[in-house]
Amino acid sequence: MNGPDPTGTKVFETEVLIIGGGVTGTGVMRDLALRGVNCLLIDQKDLNAGASGGNHGLLHSGGRYASTDEQTAAECKTEGDILKKTAPDCIDECGGIFAAVEGDDIDFAARFADHCAAAGIACRSLSPLEARELEPSLSDKVFAAFAVEDAAIDPFHITLGNVSHATLLTDSTYLPHTEAIDFEVVNGAITSVLCRDSRTGESVRIRTKQVVNAAGAWAMNVAKLAGCGDVALLYAKGTLIISNARISNGVINRLRVPGDGDILVPGGTVSLLGTTSDNIDKLDDIRPTVDEVDRILHEGIGMVPGLENTRFIRAFSGVRPLLQAVGADVDGRKASRGFRLFDHEDQGLSNFVTLVGGKLTTYRLMAEKTGDLVARRLGNGEPCKTATTALPSGDAVRWTEPGFAPRYWYKRSDQSDAILCECEMVPQSAVDEIIADEYGASKHMSLRAIALRSRIGKGSCQGSFCAARVTSHLYDRDIYVCDEGREHMKDFVSERFKGVRPVLWGRQMPQMELAEALHCGLMGLDLLGEGGDENDDGNADLP
Amino acid sequence: MHDIIAPTIDFQAKARDLLPDNASYDSCLSCGLCSSGCPASGFDGMDPRRFLRMAMLGMNEELSNTPWIWTCTLCQRCTYVCPMSIDVSVLVGYARGNWPKDKKPQGIVRSCEAQMRFPSTSAMGVMPEDFVEIIEDAVEELHEEDDRFETLEAPMDKQGAYFFINQNSREPATEPEELAPLWKVFDYVGADWTYASKGWAAENFCMFTGDDEAWEEMVKQRVNAVNELGCKVWVNTECGHSFYTLWKGVERFGLQADFEAGNLISYYAHWIREGKLPVNSDWNTQGLKFTVQDPCQLVRKSIGDPVADDLRYVATKLVGAENFIDMQPCRSANYCCGGGGGFLQAGMNEQRLAYGKRKFDQIEVTQADYVLTPCHNCHSQITDLCDHFEGEYRVIHFWTLICLSLGILGKNERRYLGPDLAEIGLSKDAP
Repeated sequence: MNGPDPTGTKVFETEVLIIGGGVTGTGVMRDLALRGVNCLLIDQKDLNAGASGGNHGLLHSGGRYASTDEQTAAECKTEGDILKKTAPDCIDECGGIFAAVEGDDIDFAARFADHCAAAGIACRSLSPLEARELEPSLSDKVFAAFAVEDAAIDPFHITLGNVSHATLLTDSTYLPHTEAIDFEVVNGAITSVLCRDSRTGESVRIRTKQVVNAAGAWAMNVAKLAGCGDVALLYAKGTLIISNARISNGVINRLRVPGDGDILVPGGTVSLLGTTSDNIDKLDDIRPTVDEVDRILHEGIGMVPGLENTRFIRAFSGVRPLLQAVGADVDGRKASRGFRLFDHEDQGLSNFVTLVGGKLTTYRLMAEKTGDLVARRLGNGEPCKTATTALPSGDAVRWTEPGFAPRYWYKRSDQSDAILCECEMVPQSAVDEIIADEYGASKHMSLRAIALRSRIGKGSCQGSFCAARVTSHLYDRDIYVCDEGREHMKDFVSERFKGVRPVLWGRQMPQMELAEALHCGLMGLDLLGEGGDENDDGNADLP
Repeated sequence: MHDIIAPTIDFQAKARDLLPDNASYDSCLSCGLCSSGCPASGFDGMDPRRFLRMAMLGMNEELSNTPWIWTCTLCQRCTYVCPMSIDVSVLVGYARGNWPKDKKPQGIVRSCEAQMRFPSTSAMGVMPEDFVEIIEDAVEELHEEDDRFETLEAPMDKQGAYFFINQNSREPATEPEELAPLWKVFDYVGADWTYASKGWAAENFCMFTGDDEAWEEMVKQRVNAVNELGCKVWVNTECGHSFYTLWKGVERFGLQADFEAGNLISYYAHWIREGKLPVNSDWNTQGLKFTVQDPCQLVRKSIGDPVADDLRYVATKLVGAENFIDMQPCRSANYCCGGGGGFLQAGMNEQRLAYGKRKFDQIEVTQADYVLTPCHNCHSQITDLCDHFEGEYRVIHFWTLICLSLGILGKNERRYLGPDLAEIGLSKDAP
């Protein structure tokens, strides 16, 4: 920061301003930092608040696209291999299978192996018996199955790692809760971006040489703000549900034309079943619905019958920003999963770039292409290094990994290190480390910011206990004063409840009755004044 | 982190196998009621909720090797208070069985081995012929000492007797003078009963080693002994886990038992109600205060509150309602004293006493002079707690007080009574 200008607005100066703290934005931040460039990353909410947080956490082998989009499939294969090498701490190489069950298209299944071969994707045919030996939860109505190299990836670990590494390399900065509201353009170049801190309402001016728009689903809005009308996006909302325990050993994909509820991905100690795909035209109030959950489950049960009696702890939604080509089909699933870089030169801007589309699996490649363009514009001749440089896994970024905190705690066996989150066994020391070391996140760490950077609130109790305990701990650490902590806690549990509500049956029901007794009956959070909406970070957390 | 000594168990999968669908680990609310009421919470960084959560988080290696499983007494208080009725003790027991024999607490292992050695099934190694001789000697001694009992019998292997009475090894092995009060009670009510030379022992440490086969073998031998004699009712004497091990064992291993499993406390209550045991509290002129320790194995784990009611009925009849003070919590919600699960034999004295501090404090609050408990392990542990934490109370069996009240307690049958009761009910010319 370079101090306030005469009007009292905070001023920052950077070489590259990146808008959007998802995997792509943070990927560009690290890509450029590895070329020696100083960046400033902003997000209107916090890291992975959009699609980067609202997905399966699936590192595609490419099998999913082999039959429909050979290029994307091949990219998935190449990029998947790179990430497995450079970010092994973020990836569970659990493998995956594609399985067709009675009623699925026999011809589609029969052509799968050829399509994989054409895209260069490893794929091994399995007998139904072999498939069920690999995945005992699989339906006994399987008639065709293939093993592929799918893996599970923790997008939070990736994002946190990207920011952490960039900060370390070039003193790059991340500002959460900072929304771009105006672009100052001089002679066809953006010279500064005026932003607003959504928490304090304060203005922030960022002087910059280059601007990267990586705002995901919001990229079209940001481009328009900069006067560019060339970015046309299609919004497809996807909903997923999370089980209380891990169901399968690896990824299970339905071997058929992609549809609802046909991918089950392990997320460490849980499993994620999804997705739906529904076109929407507004980005406000994205939340999962009972209808979506019903659809996912109905389809999923055909593939994994045990899902019928599985305890689900939450649903969540993300919005896929898909490129809308002229005359394109409006079906979100059929739209290209490729990505595109807009240099906006035909829009009269020489230092603005927008990248849209793509996938979690190919985020690094998108960042590389963007980095190449921005570096060239800066006159920086350094090549991209992300394909070969390992992503460091520092102390403060490791807490998103399921099962890490309890192992760490158990190994240390320090009885004075109280467990704050019982479901995921996150100790006090983890929260303290996140508060102390977390680069940039915020000078003012909130319950929600800590939850984003750890497993807090993601277990079966969905914040029933840990919300109160972490809040109390933050009061103990003088981070919260007055009523602020209680208000944040109300926001947090209300946000979790949006996701819990559509899966509220069976064993999750008594859990939430207990939560209600605690939060409303005991703490009176329901009587706490309205509010919190301005702190709404959206469905930003992938459990 | 502890040394790797045991093969790794997949606890989540085992929980699915061994627990009912609606009360398996997947139903946990993380509420912690289990842990807050568990005296083993905190040892080795563990508690019941942590055990379950670690299972859900896949920490199988840690759980397979934690020595905490020997600190948990399998008392099932966690299950009792769990809103979802999840039984943590099932997998703790399974994990015990998974430890290599030479790494398990050797005291428990040796007790089980002793049981396996002779058809007595006695953990103290009392052989059938020794048992028969000890009983004969004790009967003879009683005949000589008190002419009121010169015709009293302690039948052995009596075919077709109504009651089959088991016997904790402690009395025949180390305190034979404690045998007679129980016989006097049977004599008083005119019970048709018998001991057996085989399968007579009450205790079963094999169950605590987690070795299911050994547990089954012990119960089989005992069940066969009762079946062979054709008795109608098998009665455990004042030993908590002896009831559980047989009653549960018959169900668990699908054994053919041609008899009913009864417990002595309920028979005491029954005989008092019927007027066959006309006990009263007239002797308690000093207003001595009494409390009761509910044995987890008999109350919470087996029969539940009905036997807790019987315990209190008998106790208040014996000492006077105004002199009876319950511990809180009690009955099925009672805390384990720390003598269960083989803890007394496990050689982990420091942990055992720390575990028992909660029980000691509960007793102290009642300001009782005596703790009545129909369980040998409770008896030993609560006595140990008194010595260690410097309490003032004493621990006694029910049979002692029943005989005292009836005026038939011999002078040498008072080892657990204090000076305040040493002379009460002794006739001037009694031995």
